[in-house]
Amino acid sequence: MYKKLLKIGDHTVAVTSHSTTVINMFNSNFLSINSSIKEDLSILINDNYGVPFVDYNVVITKSQDSISYKRKDYFITVDCNYTNATILVHNELALKHALMNLYSSFIVHHNWGLLLHSSCVIDKGMAHIFSGHSGAGKSTAATLSQPRALLSDEATIIKITTHTVTVFDSPFRSELNAKCLSKPYKLDTIHLLNQSLSNSRERLTRGNSLLHLMDKVFYWTESSTETRKIFKLLHLLVNQVPVYNLYFQKNNTFWEMIS
Amino acid sequence: MQQYIKKDDYETVQLDNEWIIMNTDQFTVTKLNDIGGFCWSLLESPQSTEALTKSVKVQFNLDNINLSNHIEVFLCELMDFGLIQHAV
Repeated sequence: MYKKLLKIGDHTVAVTSHSTTVINMFNSNFLSINSSIKEDLSILINDNYGVPFVDYNVVITKSQDSISYKRKDYFITVDCNYTNATILVHNELALKHALMNLYSSFIVHHNWGLLLHSSCVIDKGMAHIFSGHSGAGKSTAATLSQPRALLSDEATIIKITTHTVTVFDSPFRSELNAKCLSKPYKLDTIHLLNQSLSNSRERLTRGNSLLHLMDKVFYWTESSTETRKIFKLLHLLVNQVPVYNLYFQKNNTFWEMIS
Repeated sequence: MQQYIKKDDYETVQLDNEWIIMNTDQFTVTKLNDIGGFCWSLLESPQSTEALTKSVKVQFNLDNINLSNHIEVFLCELMDFGLIQHAV
């Protein structure tokens, strides 16, 4: 049995597997640690499950002591306290999506924070999120922001408390590899992207901010309790962080309006 | 006289002059202005169109002859969104 200890957000996650192929999938983007700290979440992962990616449809089944998330290319079972999970996957893409599914459910369960469909860039020690519908330019904005460091290019890990909102380096990457930064960054702004011929931005009301962010959250739940948690976390988020509509040209000049 | 009441204790937040209601049964979100939010808060207990119209007139100092019709349309929309039901 192979084992790796990872840091995701400020959580310690232990992954074990019989398969070296699976364990090697954690060699890039994930921050490995050596620690005797007890893990927050323990995951047993095995491969040879299902078929290659078909669609995003996830079937959720809840029993008295566990919850399962089933997609054609992955199957997750986790206990109700989100401490022990088993993941079966078909391939690396399935593993990434299964981990995003599990981790987003884990952080909502603990009222810790949210996984937001967005990229996130560090500028002058502060985190700035770029979100939007599919194709709006999340990874384009991330690429155009170089040489600034990135915390995410697809899924941003946001920790939300009543008095502060911080962002952690995300191992859930689509194109741009993670540098495995270990410390969190205070979230300064959220921008909803719209590609345009000229640069401008407008601040949204807190109500509209909440509305626009609802469908940017990664979550898989049919539970109204969990949905309420997401709603409350978003409420805390928009109370602390300004959200803007950003109309941007496809170059780096939009940063003049932000920093 | 037909009366209406909230269907459930749905999660609601007031942000500035806007109210956001999360229907956790249907996974929908509805935004109301301050008058709509005021009506929503009254719908904690059974309300008729007439009662709501009277309360809104007093609270917002309005004298709009069409107010009752607007409230009626508003209640129909809340019914459509599954947020309120007829009070029995």
